[in-house]
Amino acid sequence: MIQIRGLSKEFLGRDGADTGVLAIDSLNFEVRDNEFLTVIGPSGCGKTTLLRIIAGLIPFDEGEVQIDDVPVTGPGADRAVVFQNFALLPWADVLTNVAFGLEIRGASKSECEATAMRLVKLVGLEGFERRLPKELSGGMQQRVGLARALAVNPQILLMDEPFGALDEQTRRLLQEQLLRIWDQERKTVMFITHSMEEAVLLGDRVMLMTPRPGRVKEIIDVPLKRPRGQETEKSTTFVEIKEYLWENLRSMQVLDQRGEA
Amino acid sequence: MARVAVEAGKIEPVSMPLSLRQPFRDAWFELAALLGGVILWEVLGWSLAMPWLPPFSKILEALVQFVQSGVILGNVATSLEGLVIGFTISLFVGLFVGALMGRYRRVEKALDVYVNALLISPAMIFAPIFFAIFGLSGAVRIAVIVMYSLFVIIMNTATAIRNVDPALVEMASSFGANERQIFLRVLLPASLPLVFAGIRLGMGRAVKGMINAEMLIAMVGLGALAQRYGSQFEAAKVFAIALVVLIIALVGNWLVQAVENRLTRWAD
Amino acid sequence: MIPKTDKQRRNLSDWSLRICVFVLFALSWQLSAQFMKNMLIPTFTETINGFIQLVFVTGRIWRPLYISNQALVLGYILSVAIAIPLGLAAGRVKWIDRILNPYIGVFLAIPIAPLIPIAITALGLGLASRVAIVFLFTFVFIAVNTRAGVRNVDPGLIEMAKSFGASERQIWHRIVIPGAVPAIFAGLRIGLGRAVAGMVIVELLLVASGLGRLLLEFAGRLQAEFVFATVLVVIVEALLLLSVMRFAEQKVAPWAHDSSIG
Repeated sequence: MIQIRGLSKEFLGRDGADTGVLAIDSLNFEVRDNEFLTVIGPSGCGKTTLLRIIAGLIPFDEGEVQIDDVPVTGPGADRAVVFQNFALLPWADVLTNVAFGLEIRGASKSECEATAMRLVKLVGLEGFERRLPKELSGGMQQRVGLARALAVNPQILLMDEPFGALDEQTRRLLQEQLLRIWDQERKTVMFITHSMEEAVLLGDRVMLMTPRPGRVKEIIDVPLKRPRGQETEKSTTFVEIKEYLWENLRSMQVLDQRGEA
Repeated sequence: MARVAVEAGKIEPVSMPLSLRQPFRDAWFELAALLGGVILWEVLGWSLAMPWLPPFSKILEALVQFVQSGVILGNVATSLEGLVIGFTISLFVGLFVGALMGRYRRVEKALDVYVNALLISPAMIFAPIFFAIFGLSGAVRIAVIVMYSLFVIIMNTATAIRNVDPALVEMASSFGANERQIFLRVLLPASLPLVFAGIRLGMGRAVKGMINAEMLIAMVGLGALAQRYGSQFEAAKVFAIALVVLIIALVGNWLVQAVENRLTRWAD
Repeated sequence: MIPKTDKQRRNLSDWSLRICVFVLFALSWQLSAQFMKNMLIPTFTETINGFIQLVFVTGRIWRPLYISNQALVLGYILSVAIAIPLGLAAGRVKWIDRILNPYIGVFLAIPIAPLIPIAITALGLGLASRVAIVFLFTFVFIAVNTRAGVRNVDPGLIEMAKSFGASERQIWHRIVIPGAVPAIFAGLRIGLGRAVAGMVIVELLLVASGLGRLLLEFAGRLQAEFVFATVLVVIVEALLLLSVMRFAEQKVAPWAHDSSIG
């Protein structure tokens, strides 16, 4: 369980202390065990900053970030990140990339290979083990990224707009695949997205954030039955929640633009 | 796609005649252009009858004579020996210092002014200083070669490591990689393309340093030969020496390129 | 001057690092030279003193400096006059480029020094051969950067101009030349560096009547501090010239991001 209390983070300006930007302000929320939480909000709402704080990649200024009552001080074996731009090692083949996290943590060669092979199979990239990233499509590269994250068997999966760099068709396929995999290997997932459909389709709950500074506006329950798929998108509940999100987001954009004018 | 190199902090698309990466047709065209120049040279050489512009055939003749009489072998060997020693020193020191500068901001800021200054200074001006320190020994040659090639390697290596995609470093951090692991498993491989570009530039410069030093000391190597033939007004032989040095430069570049291709097959 | 912002603070600490490195260098030079007591290796202070003597007190350096720099200036101007039109032509006209390309490659790779005896045979031992050698060192680098500048002008912009009916001349003046200016200036800067290097090699190998002769004189009289000081003068000249060039480059094309050759 991820516990966030009163979390704030400020980014200092480059030339001095007076031009700092408050990225997130006094966030309070919890992510329950094995829950799929999607996070949505306009640009500038600090969702990526939030994810990186939880991943232990950047420090924060105020508040508490705890995982099962243990404060977060840096990256840990309990968490793994999936990056928007894949962040694959271009010189390593698929198998080596998948095993990367394991190798860093000192796993034996045989264990690395075995686990990597299993996961390559899980994400449907059998036969591509020796390929280089540049030989793969975007969707395939991201599947490698997902396999790499799963390989270290984390409790928590932190996904930073993982399908944002992909075209819509690939995105839909990967969403389906992600749901299938998650059904099999239940983990706590925090999934950042810009897409309302994605947020509702994937999440048990959707966390709506407002920008400048980033705050949690609301956490919405998504009482749709699992397993979810194409049909889920046609249900009235789905459409309602999606519309609700859009109304909120739209008004945030309008406010934002008025503020800028 | 053109490979880029950084020299004096700048980017350089490297081009060699008859580049190994160009499509066949272009290569033929360039060869034809060169041939055209050679023919022109031949004609001018015969018609103008200037002592300093021998016909190209005479130059080739001199070249063949060199190879046959074996007179050139000893000198080439001496020259190459100096080149290899000097370039190896530049390689080791350059990669090491460059890596430090690329990795640690403090080291970079402490040294960048000096590396840059030494990079843009005319390297040959240090020859009198090397004479004072090393006397009339072979070390002067080596020192000049190092002076010519070291700083471009440092500069490129530093830039290469500094410009590694930060997303990759962050990804490795997210999996808990420590400093050493990040350096060995991300920074080093990711910086190879640009580092190799610097090595290629360094090689080209090292060859120039080699010949310049040898001409100055005028005792051993191809440079000494060039001076001797020059003082004897044997223009064809001098040109032939220049050709030999050009070939050495091309071969050196080709070698580095071959290693580079092997190690950076993954880059586009 | 107390640093107010983070940036100023960082700047100050950077410079103190650099000064530390320099002090370390000067100190080790001074101590090792004093320890070695080698007639040929002056100490740091002796060198600085020699520098001040040559430049400010006796002014011994100025005439040889002037003589040597004649070759530099004339060779550089000649290079610019020939290389820029060449580079522009190669950049814009495809067939010219393809013919010249292998030659440019050869000139980039070939060491010029072996050709010095040839230049002497052709032009004698005077200023003409020195200018020719500096020219040979320099022109190809200016040409190649000019060509790159022209080639790297966004073809989309040229297409846009054509779509408005612009003539070739107009395209040159309003799109190609302004677009190529940053690269051309970079080439001029690099060419200057090459010209200085050429001048130095000429002085050392030809030993005419400039700095080369001066160095030989000082060396012959075992006046090591003046030998080193002369070297320092040349380095200072090179750094000054190139800094000024850099500055001009920034002024002319502040928007440029660097892709120079050489």
